[in-house]
Amino acid sequence: MTEKMSLNQKIENLDKKAEWFYSDDFNLEEAVSNYKDAVKLAKEIEKDLDNLKNEIEVLAEDFSKK
Amino acid sequence: MNNSFTPSEFIATVNQTLEYAYSEVVIEGEVASFKVNQGKWIFFDVKDAEASVSCFMTLYQLRMPLEDGMKVMIKGIPKLTKWGKFSLTVNAVRPVGEGSIKKAFEMLKNKLQKEGLFDASRKRSIPGDLTKLGVISSTGAAGYADFIKIINARWGGIRVQVAHTQVQGVDAPDQIIRALKYFNEKSDVQMIAILRGGGSADDLSCFNDEMLAREVAASRIPVITGIGHEIDESLVDLAADVRASTPSNAAEILTKDRREEKEKLWRNMKVVKQAILQEIDNASFVNVDKCEKISRGLMTKYIEPMISENKNKMMRIYERVKNGINLGRENLKQKIIMLEALNPEKVLKQGYAILNGKISPGNVVKITTFDQEINAEIKNVRLRNK
Repeated sequence: MTEKMSLNQKIENLDKKAEWFYSDDFNLEEAVSNYKDAVKLAKEIEKDLDNLKNEIEVLAEDFSKK
Repeated sequence: MNNSFTPSEFIATVNQTLEYAYSEVVIEGEVASFKVNQGKWIFFDVKDAEASVSCFMTLYQLRMPLEDGMKVMIKGIPKLTKWGKFSLTVNAVRPVGEGSIKKAFEMLKNKLQKEGLFDASRKRSIPGDLTKLGVISSTGAAGYADFIKIINARWGGIRVQVAHTQVQGVDAPDQIIRALKYFNEKSDVQMIAILRGGGSADDLSCFNDEMLAREVAASRIPVITGIGHEIDESLVDLAADVRASTPSNAAEILTKDRREEKEKLWRNMKVVKQAILQEIDNASFVNVDKCEKISRGLMTKYIEPMISENKNKMMRIYERVKNGINLGRENLKQKIIMLEALNPEKVLKQGYAILNGKISPGNVVKITTFDQEINAEIKNVRLRNK
């Protein structure tokens, strides 16, 4: 599921997961599994961050021509 | 005669020769006799201490305010007019020298400011999820290299399209304008960065071009500038949505730092973990609290009445024992009083005497009083009448 998300989407997703722990929905029964999910996503994001590369393309267009 | 011309032929031949020898010239000098005719044509002279050249251009081509006394560099084509007057048809003009650059800058800044080109309300922010970026710079410039190095170190996943243009000189503004138009019309970039490293006021003066400033302000796509150093402020900077102090600073503004993101990531996880542990602690407290309530209930309902009942019993036993002891003590006291009353010494003290021996006349008996012992002989014995 998260594999198709962009890095920023994953980070947003993790922020939402973290927010749950401070929300009224928080309960201990779900906390452990939700925490495990969040850690898994955090590791995925860390890996993505390490592997992210920019793609630099110099345009062939000649802007000196009128 | 070979050198015989009609006036028209002569002028055409000279112009041909000029075009061959000096198709385009650059002249630096001081502006004099500046005037605008019919709101369209501009005439002025460029002079130094000893000579002067007439110049002509259209108002449309004028990209900066001009006035007499300003030092400028002009680019133009030398020509003889049909009236035989030598003139330079100017293609581009820009101020040179600190004083002129500053003056032109201030004049144009006031003009554009009045039009609202620099208003804060026009500024747009950088997209949060930047994945497509347009860069306008000279790919050989140090500022561009710094920018690329920093964005690669900080972040990734951005497709950067680079429009290579001049970033100094009279041709730079038009090239940058064309690149801006290209990005606005033919690309899907979310932000355009105009970059140029540090340089002299002359080097950076192309960023004070009026048309370029207008093009930046009109750009559909938000523009960030990273031009020169912190202290350099150009009209393009003022017209842009975001102004970075340098190309490196632009890279920092546009991208997050992956190291900081990683640290933040685990910091957040740590905080979440703490929240869970805190909740477990809270839950334990709740249970302890419940146990305490239960034990208080048991105490009140069962144990305390039992203790109270036993206490009453013990009190009753104690009272009985206490009464028994008191009674015994009282009896004893009475007996002591009785015994005291029977004490012979006490009787003797009252004046009585004890007689020991056989009571018959002639016998000697022993009489004991409180303070004497007496031996006495019995003379006679007779019975008392009661």
